[in-house]
Amino acid sequence: MNRTLRLVAALGMLALPTLAQAQSITGSIAATATIQSVFSFGAPTALSFGNVTPGTTASGSGYIPMQRNVGVIYSLPDGATTGQLTGPGPAILPTYTCGVGTTSTAFTTQWANCTSTAALQTVVGASGLVNEFVIFNGSLSAAQTNTVPGLYSGTIHILATPN
Amino acid sequence: MTSRTGLRPLFALLLASWPVRAGAQSQKSVSITPVQSLSFGLLVPGLRGAVRITDASRRAVVALAGRGPVDITLVLPSSLDSPTGERIPLQFATGDAAFLNADGSTISTLDPLQVNRVQLRNDRTILFVLGGTAVTATTTRPGQYTARVTLLVNQPGT
Repeated sequence: MNRTLRLVAALGMLALPTLAQAQSITGSIAATATIQSVFSFGAPTALSFGNVTPGTTASGSGYIPMQRNVGVIYSLPDGATTGQLTGPGPAILPTYTCGVGTTSTAFTTQWANCTSTAALQTVVGASGLVNEFVIFNGSLSAAQTNTVPGLYSGTIHILATPN
Repeated sequence: MTSRTGLRPLFALLLASWPVRAGAQSQKSVSITPVQSLSFGLLVPGLRGAVRITDASRRAVVALAGRGPVDITLVLPSSLDSPTGERIPLQFATGDAAFLNADGSTISTLDPLQVNRVQLRNDRTILFVLGGTAVTATTTRPGQYTARVTLLVNQPGT
């Protein structure tokens, strides 16, 4: 009998630890996000020489905002005819200075010329969101304004390539 | 006879323990099946991107199957990381997790920062869903960011 009792007790003790056993398992899932590139021009402010008296000088300034979080290469696809004005008389090519500024009124980086289809400014990467302005200042000589009266207009094309 | 009578409760105790033990063994079939990642999608630098648990296409989904009570503990990442070491902080709050029935009906909303218990049954799969918020900065650079959420499923002993 004692032997039977011992067997029963032993079996019971074997069973009890199993009852207290807990099970743990693990699994994992991925979390993902993609930060998009920001690269866009904003609304331009036109460069206007205003009403010009023939035979006098004139000047004007215009800009276009640029927002980006990547690098950029600026160039002028129209090359030597960038910003050329056409109207009732012969075409007029103002003298321009151009470049990029952190404000719309002053250059931070002035480009070497305003007539090149090659890269005028190359920026590699960006440390964050950049807001800048591509600025064009134009001037007309007295000789250039001494021409046929009428409206003269043109478009300045700026090419920004993500870099 | 007296001694035999005295054995009866012992045998009864032992026999009573076997079915429970068998039950405990059958509970060792809890499974975790990842169904869908937590996807914040395309984020704009400087803006928060939140995934609600009601967002079926972007929330994380894990299927739980088995039997008995289980405790779900999450090891939540503090950020999404890029291959180059850039980080997007993550935030999780009460209501960013829930248990759902397989048909999508909500069993309960949860605090993913706490241990949450659910009762599993053999005849149904329970879905654990998780949302969260990614907080980007204007300086956050473009690219892919990833992290892993780990689930610890503990089936307590009876």
